[in-house]
Parts: sequence; C-alpha cells; structure tokens
Amino acid sequence: MEAILETKQLSKFFYDPVEFQALKNVDLQIPKGQFASIMGSSGSGKSTLLYVLSTLDTQYKGHLFLDGEDLSLKSKNDLAEIRNEKIGFVFQFHYLLPEFTVLENVMLPALKLAKLDQKQIEENAMSKLKMLGLEDQALKKANKLSGGQQQRAAIARALINEPKIIFGDEPTGNLDSKNADIVFEILKELKEKYNQTILIVTHDNNFANKTDRIIRLHDGEVVN
Amino acid sequence: MKAKSPNIKIALIHLLSKKRQTIVAMLGVTFGIAIFIFQAGLMSGFQTVFIEQSINTTANIRIYNEPDNKRKSVLQNAGEKDNEWIVVRNQKVKDEQTNIKNGYQIIKQLEKHPEIAGVSPFLGTQTIFRLGIAQTSGRVSGVDIEKENLLFALQDNMAEGNILSLENTPNGLILGIGLAELLGAKVGDNITVVSPKGVELILKVVGIHRSGIVEVDKTRAFVNLRSAQQLLQVDGSYLTDINIKLKNIDKAEELSREFTARYGYTAQNWKDANANVFGLFKIQNMITGLVISSILVVSGFGIFNILMMIIYEKMQDIAILKAIGYKDRDIKTIFLSESLIIGFFGGILGLILGFTLQEIVGSIRMNMKGFVAMEHLQFNQSPYFFAFAFVFGMVVTAIAGYIPARKASKIDPVDIIRSK
Repeated sequence: MEAILETKQLSKFFYDPVEFQALKNVDLQIPKGQFASIMGSSGSGKSTLLYVLSTLDTQYKGHLFLDGEDLSLKSKNDLAEIRNEKIGFVFQFHYLLPEFTVLENVMLPALKLAKLDQKQIEENAMSKLKMLGLEDQALKKANKLSGGQQQRAAIARALINEPKIIFGDEPTGNLDSKNADIVFEILKELKEKYNQTILIVTHDNNFANKTDRIIRLHDGEVVN
Repeated sequence: MKAKSPNIKIALIHLLSKKRQTIVAMLGVTFGIAIFIFQAGLMSGFQTVFIEQSINTTANIRIYNEPDNKRKSVLQNAGEKDNEWIVVRNQKVKDEQTNIKNGYQIIKQLEKHPEIAGVSPFLGTQTIFRLGIAQTSGRVSGVDIEKENLLFALQDNMAEGNILSLENTPNGLILGIGLAELLGAKVGDNITVVSPKGVELILKVVGIHRSGIVEVDKTRAFVNLRSAQQLLQVDGSYLTDINIKLKNIDKAEELSREFTARYGYTAQNWKDANANVFGLFKIQNMITGLVISSILVVSGFGIFNILMMIIYEKMQDIAILKAIGYKDRDIKTIFLSESLIIGFFGGILGLILGFTLQEIVGSIRMNMKGFVAMEHLQFNQSPYFFAFAFVFGMVVTAIAGYIPARKASKIDPVDIIRSK
C-alpha cells in the first residue's frame, strides 16, 4: 500500500537544559486511508513526534516524506505552503480566531491557498460545516459556540483544503465523553467515507483501541 | 470574485479589539503631525516674511567702496629688519574718501545691462536729528527718490504722505515711522539734521515710511542726494553706493562677482548682506526639526507599545495561522498593516488638525514689533510641508511597527501550542 507519510531514521535532540534524545531512529509508515493513533506515557516523545511529522518542528535528523516528497531539506516558506495544502490540524484546543465567524475561520486556510475564488471557498466551507452539523452556527462568532461545536469547527477548518493527512494532538482531551465520542465518530466517518488518512496522538486508551493501528512510543522509540 | 487575503481583515480586527489603545496611538501620530505642520509652517512663514522684508530693504546687489583700514602706514614699511618696532603716536586725522569715483558713469553703463531692472545712486551718512528738545541719532539716505522707489517699492509702505513729494521739495525729508515717533514729528514739521562734519540743515518732513523692520524704521530718513552732499560738504558727483535691482534675483551671486572684477569696488549681493540672518535661520530650522522629530518618535513608541500588547494577546492566533500555512511574511504584513493603519488615519487627522490650528492662530490679530513688525502670524502653507509631514509620519510608523511585526513573525507555533 502507498505510504502517505514515511520517516527514515528520524531522531530529535533537545539541548536545553541538558542534551536529551527525544526521538531515536524512528522508522514509520502511514499508508493512505489509515486511521492511526500514537500512544505513550507522558515524556515518551509522542507529541514531539507529531510536531516533527507535521513539519511544525524542523529541528530533527533523518528523513521525512509526505506524499512521496522529502521534506527534510525544505525551507520554512515551502513547509508553510505544504502545511497549507496537504496537512490538516486538530489540536486539544480549537484555536479558532474568536472575533471571526465560524464560516470565516473555516475559510482561512483556503483563502491562503487562493486556488478557488471567494464564492467557491465559501460554498466549500459551508458544505464542510453541513457535514459536521454546524450549518446553523456558520455566521456566529467562534467564541459563541460550545466546546464540542468549536472542536467540530476546527475539524471543518482542517478539512477545507482536502488535505493528504490530518494530524490530531489530543483532539478529545478537552471534551466530555459525549463530545469526545462525537469527534471520534466524525474522524472515523472521514476515514470510511472519504478514505482520509488520520494520525492522532492520544493518551486515551478507549480512543486508541478503536483506531486501525496503535503506534506505541517509549523513551523516543517505537516499541510495537 | 478573487479570494481576498484575510490579512488586512485580521489587522483591523486586532485594532478594533483594542479600541481605546488604538485611538490613543492614533492621536499620538495626530498630534505629532499637527505640531509638525504648525511649527514648520510658522517658522517658515516667519522666515519668508523676514526675507521678503529684508530683500525689500537691501539691494539685490550693492556696489560700494570698502575702506581699507588695515593698510600699513608708510613708516611701517621703512624699517630695515622685520623685528624692528616703529611707534608713531598721535597720528594725524586724515579723511579717507569712501566714494565711488566715477559713480554716474558706472550707473549709466549698468542701466544698459540686460540683467538689470533698475539702478539707484546712494549717499549715506550718520546724522543727528533734532526737533524741539527731542534729539536722536540715525542715518540719512541721500537718494534719487524716483529710482529708489523703483528698487524698493517705497510708495507701497508709506504711512503718511507721498514718496514723490520729496522730488518736488528740494529740502524735503522722509522719516522712518520709528524715527518720527522718537522725535514726535509729523508731516510738515521742520527737522534739524546735523552731520559729522558739523553741517546743519533744516529739512521739512514730507512723508513717513514704514519698512516693517523695526531697527531700520527707527534710524533711517530719506533725503534728496543734493541734501546729503551738502551735509557732507562734497560735490554733486559724490556717491558712496550704487544699488542694483536685478530682473532675476537668483543671478545676484554671479553678477556681483562680475561687477567686483569690472569696477574694482566691492559688489555685495543680498545673500551675503544677510548672511548672518540666513545662518540664524539654519540653526532655527535645525532646532525646530529636532523638536518635531522627537515628538514623532514619541508617537512611534505609542504604536510600538500597542502592537506589542496585541502580539502578546494574540499569540495563539499567530500560532494557528502559522500552523495552517500562513508564512512569516503574512504575519509580518498583518502587524505592519496595523501600524500603518494607525499611522495613516492618525496622519490624515494630524494634517487636518495642523491646518485648522494654522487657520485659527493665523486669524488672530496681534500687533507684534520684534525683529519685524507683523499684524498676523504668517504660516507657510505649502503643500510640500503637508506631504513631508505625512510621509515622515508614515516612515516613523513603519519603523515602529516593523520591530513588533518581525517579532510576531518569528513566533514558533510549537512553543505556543505545546505549552498549553
């Protein structure tokens, strides 16, 4: 199967306050359409791995391939473009811009990409919101929504540019169990209906057990 | 419709989220620019008035015989060795003639010169003016009043009487307005004029003139050339100065050099004659510039301050924008736009406020008698000042905004998102 995301001998060091190897020669392949989770105790390096994989952290050794392209030598500007076009993010907190409407928040990555015109982007954003059951909230300010709704709006924002992969850092970590289930079901539906590749960092066993694959990390090494 | 970059909208929303601070920062720029325009306009307006009045009272070029007072006496050259002292005590008084010897011929030549609009002969001397018990010293200017009027437009500034009545009154006298006040003289009064030679003439006041420069008005009186020659006991061809008005005032320097070389007398142009004043203006302009710039720099700090506040508050917005693909450049654009928006609107307001202040202060009637006499403060409202103030304001704003904008663009999203 075609790997959307692949690493070769990925290592990461922290130098402050003392030298410390956070990731040790990680070799990883995420095939297209897989819904995978990364687990590990706190300090195991799972978040570090996610930020390296998602190109936000560029201080690493080894190689990182996304969609067959080696990203380890790309400039910051190129990486920003790649994130914009090929990567969707869902964090523990929604990070919606509070003064913008939900619709405008969802449109932000597409406006940056600027491949479509304003009207098409608006229609796309609307259809993503409909898919997530938020169409009636579209014109409200982002800070007027409930926590569960905000997280769903963040997922809509992650989907707007049809990314190759969605990264999640504890996306249900700040939600009650009911809303956590809703978010999980949405992600699962994305995988099943649209063959969306998804990689989630979580410490929630329940959540991880329902995914296709669990990558366990211990002291910076993949241990399965 | 093409997709609009949301950068400017984000900038506006940031500013609107801090309305009060934004307005304060904007007012900082407004006051800076208003004071800039007000002050620069006032200084330049004053200087223009002064230069105009000085030019009206100094000739474009003045040819005169500069006495060589430092010339060694014959005896001093008689010593055999350089280190020999020769002391001559009680040197006999000797009159050195300071006239221009062939003055009328020179005038005739100059009148044919294509660059020259007018030439006026002049003979000046120190005198004492007396009227009743009042007595004051001053100078008489012996002139051909018709020619003098052509050069200095004297008729335009007559406080009383007609300038040309001097021509019809051989023993006439036109007093400066300050001099008339000192003597308590009115048109028709007879003034006793005493020269350094001890000659006394009784001259009749036919007019009172106001030049606008207080010091001149207090000491100067016009008489006919013949009267001045009588006061000095010299013949009818005796002149001390030749005043010249040019068709193009900017050629004064070039022509003054030409005349010095041709006639062997000193030809001084109006710029050199007023060099000390121009030097003073230069210092004045420098000080004004410094004061104005420092006010604008302070407004710059206001902008810097509000942007730093916004950046600290909107750290998470910056982080997520960078995560979803906004480049460093976009973030820089957002914050630079914020400072330029403040600068632009603050600047426009400042231009309006500065102009309004000029109009109000300029309309207040005040009789000032300092260096020059003015009824109103004169402002130079040249569009150049307005444009320069605005551009300068925008430059300060851009610099004040660039530093925080750069800082914002360097924020590492991982630091912000992980630290939660």
